[in-house]
Amino acid sequence: MTLASIVFQTSPTPAPVPGSNIFSSPILLSVLLWVPVVVAVAIAVMPNPRGRYDLLMKQIAFFTNLGVVAVMFIAYNQFENFLPTAQYEEKLAWLPSIGVTYHLGVDGPGIVMLLMSGLVGIAAVLASLGVRERVRAYFCLLLLTESAVNGAIVARDMFVLILFWAAAAVPIALLILGWGGPRRNVAAWNLVGFWGVGTAALGIGTLALYGATGGQSFDMDTLLKVNAVTPRIQIAVSLVMIVAAATRLPLFPLHGWVRDVLGEAPVGVAVIVAGASGRLGAFLLLRTVIAAMPAAGHILSPLLAALAALTVAFAGLSALRTADIRHAGAYLSMVPGGITVLGFAAASPLGIAGSVLSLFTGGLAAALIVGVSATLAERAQSRSLFVLSGLAPRMPNVAWLLTIAAFALLGVPILASYSAQVMTFFGAFKTQPIGAFAVAAGLAITAIALAVLLRRVLFGAPNSQAPGVSDASLGETWYLGLLAGALLWVGLFPGGPKIPGTDFPLFDPGLMNQMAAGVSDMTAPYVQPTPTP
Amino acid sequence: MRNYVLVPEALVVATAVVVLLLGRFARRGVWRAYLPQATALVVLVALGVELWAGATLATYFGGALIQDRFALFVKAAALLTAAVALAATDWTAEDSLHFGLAMPLLAAFGAMVAASAGDLLGLWAGLELAAACSVVLVSLRRPDLGLRLLVLGGLASALVLVGLAFLYAHVGNPDLAAVRSSFLNHEGTVVLALPVLLLLSGLAVRASVAPFHVGTVPVGLGASPLGAGLVMGLVAVAAAVVALKLAAALVPVPELYAPYGQVLAALAMVGGGAAALAVRSPRPRMAYLAVSQVGWIAAGLSTHFQSGIAGSLFLLGAFAVAATCGPAVLGRAEGGEPAIHGFGAVRPVRAAGLALAMLSLAGAPPLAGFFGELAVASALAQSGSYWLIGLGALGSILGVAACVGTLRAMFIQSPLEESRRGAAAPLPAVTALSTAGAVALCVVVAGYGVFGYPIMGLAVQGAEALGLR
Repeated sequence: MTLASIVFQTSPTPAPVPGSNIFSSPILLSVLLWVPVVVAVAIAVMPNPRGRYDLLMKQIAFFTNLGVVAVMFIAYNQFENFLPTAQYEEKLAWLPSIGVTYHLGVDGPGIVMLLMSGLVGIAAVLASLGVRERVRAYFCLLLLTESAVNGAIVARDMFVLILFWAAAAVPIALLILGWGGPRRNVAAWNLVGFWGVGTAALGIGTLALYGATGGQSFDMDTLLKVNAVTPRIQIAVSLVMIVAAATRLPLFPLHGWVRDVLGEAPVGVAVIVAGASGRLGAFLLLRTVIAAMPAAGHILSPLLAALAALTVAFAGLSALRTADIRHAGAYLSMVPGGITVLGFAAASPLGIAGSVLSLFTGGLAAALIVGVSATLAERAQSRSLFVLSGLAPRMPNVAWLLTIAAFALLGVPILASYSAQVMTFFGAFKTQPIGAFAVAAGLAITAIALAVLLRRVLFGAPNSQAPGVSDASLGETWYLGLLAGALLWVGLFPGGPKIPGTDFPLFDPGLMNQMAAGVSDMTAPYVQPTPTP
Repeated sequence: MRNYVLVPEALVVATAVVVLLLGRFARRGVWRAYLPQATALVVLVALGVELWAGATLATYFGGALIQDRFALFVKAAALLTAAVALAATDWTAEDSLHFGLAMPLLAAFGAMVAASAGDLLGLWAGLELAAACSVVLVSLRRPDLGLRLLVLGGLASALVLVGLAFLYAHVGNPDLAAVRSSFLNHEGTVVLALPVLLLLSGLAVRASVAPFHVGTVPVGLGASPLGAGLVMGLVAVAAAVVALKLAAALVPVPELYAPYGQVLAALAMVGGGAAALAVRSPRPRMAYLAVSQVGWIAAGLSTHFQSGIAGSLFLLGAFAVAATCGPAVLGRAEGGEPAIHGFGAVRPVRAAGLALAMLSLAGAPPLAGFFGELAVASALAQSGSYWLIGLGALGSILGVAACVGTLRAMFIQSPLEESRRGAAAPLPAVTALSTAGAVALCVVVAGYGVFGYPIMGLAVQGAEALGLR
């Protein structure tokens, strides 16, 4: 059997819609995962005398991402949304003596995360086209980061999850150290410190589960089987996992890295950290606490609600009082994470489904607000909110995109985050009314902060003392437009245009339906018993 | 097949002797540039023979040497380490080509003897041979440090000898199997544990386990790059091998010394990581990272059951390669952190080798050390030692943070003007050839985890061969 025949082996399942099964592969997820790594290595060893091939390297990185997203869309399109189990599974024994398998797979939430990560990845590359120094190293590290994030999403073995979860920190820290702003050292050490603590917490939690389940396997099917361990262990492990998730999402009070990292990182890196990498925290909570340990999920839901409320309120207040637009963007990017966690705290099917959708919408919204803040600061040659004023007429594209980002954070209708927030709040008001009200209050503070920001920066009186400004370049408009467009797409037109000559939309059956695969199983323990007469 | 089992040892010793004789009688010639690669090739042949014939279970010299899976694993790891180290060393930075080639070979031979030793004498002889080789290499550059290492080694040797002598006196037989069977019928007592603690302390000095590293680490830092690698790597491996074999033989005593081992492990893991973060020069940083990883090996040893020992053994293989070859690839870029500024631009392959070795020692994914440390951690989880896992994770975080600093200096900062000028000049043939060795180091460190299935399988069989369950 040749490599080509393995890669292009067709799936035995019948095609449910036109376009299905054009491409299927038993190693589809590995392709998504390892192609960027191979390309990164190729870029690293490519001869590049005096930076002659810098542009070529950027193009290679871009088209690699484009290819990866194309494969992701195929995976999305062919995803069987009536199956609750993981799909595109790959399972190979790796370290059988300690129960480690190279096990990959995606379920509904996974495919949603993967799609979001792909879009953010492309946006990150487009945002990085302006990099001039050490282009080879930059794109090499960026591709490795993307691969690590995607690996953590598709991992079905906790060992593999830890591996990819931890692997993202080193390239991101180097990207910040090498291409970051003036406070890059503080930012990088903060990142390594907080994420290191999170990784340690994830490792300890995983090993505790491993020990409690007999020390036979790291596979999620074993470790994360519903109620596989006693409630006492569930609570202990869940607390550790919440710490791990809080460092990555981030949640108050483990958010210490956010301001410096998202404020100092180069734009492309900030986009990927705020968008894709941060959502891994919420994804971890979903997988380990909500789906696998419902007893702990019920008991700890007030704690989650409190964390969500504190995070959103802190983010709004901090954005209100900061005088730096990049810091404001960084703080505001914490808001979607808080809303996602509120949905988990709701411990109800609707809330959890809203949270899963907010993994997608929150990632895009966080990436958009961070990206547009950074682009605005670059184009206006200042980060100070005392200097930036009345920019809307002079940078219309950025003004529109900043407004869309603000709407996305607040969950304004027509944007995808609206559906996510409605589901989350409707789910939470019944079971966690205090938490939901507190988060809503935090969101109100965020709305005030955004209103102040927009009024001052875009619509205030122009500052004659400010340095010259210019609107976003084509590349910047494209990457921000991609993020905004994706939010609009899911909000307005989830199925996409119909395929000519058929009744089937291009992205049939829509993101929310794809997402639903597996969510009903996860939420089953949280269904309220119907009262009997 | 039985007759081929000792061929690797014979090849290694014969090569070392030939290299030393060449150094004495044939000092000039173009062939000198190719001697390291030729020597590495011979060691690779020995490794091939070991992997081919080493699966045979046999005893030699009346039970003094035993070929089992444990011996196979350690011998293969020692040979691979020696081959990569010899190939990757920048020989223009070494004090003597011939001694530099012969000493790692003999140190590897020492580790091999300790691994297949069937009695207490073999354990001691193997360890001392490896340690003596490090003294020779250190003395070539810094006789004062060589003397210090000799004195320190003498102290460690005395501790080990006292412990071994007590065991012999207690059992009346130096054979490890006899020691094991004798101890199986005894309850652990404090009187029995004290000499064992002395023995372990001596081994801890040799293996540079904190807090005993204060003597050996500064010595290793003053040596040539390969000499430092030998002190941090192969000698520590030989000591760890002796500790693993003794731990298996002293079955009832571990309950008494396990807490001691756990405290040492915790100190090494956290202290090594913290010290690595505190220093900035690459060589001390690597030395402290090695101390931290030795702590993980000790942690696995302290569990005293099969999966823990197997995890330690698996990690030992990763440690041997990274700790020995890491300093060796550093080559001329000695001194403080400025010496490696822009190393990635000037010598990209060597910089990649150094980076991977350091990250592996820190336990960063997805490299060899990460897999080894997680294997040990899974054994610790089975034994319920979560506090040790937590401290180990803390040590690893500190280590990774330290590595990020070095990576930044190598790959992001601009090279010094003199380094840039040096890079433009053509490399000596011996240095150019060593680039292939640096590539081999990268492949081994990156591939160790990927091929973890057979390697870990062999480590498990090695732990089984020691009689543990």
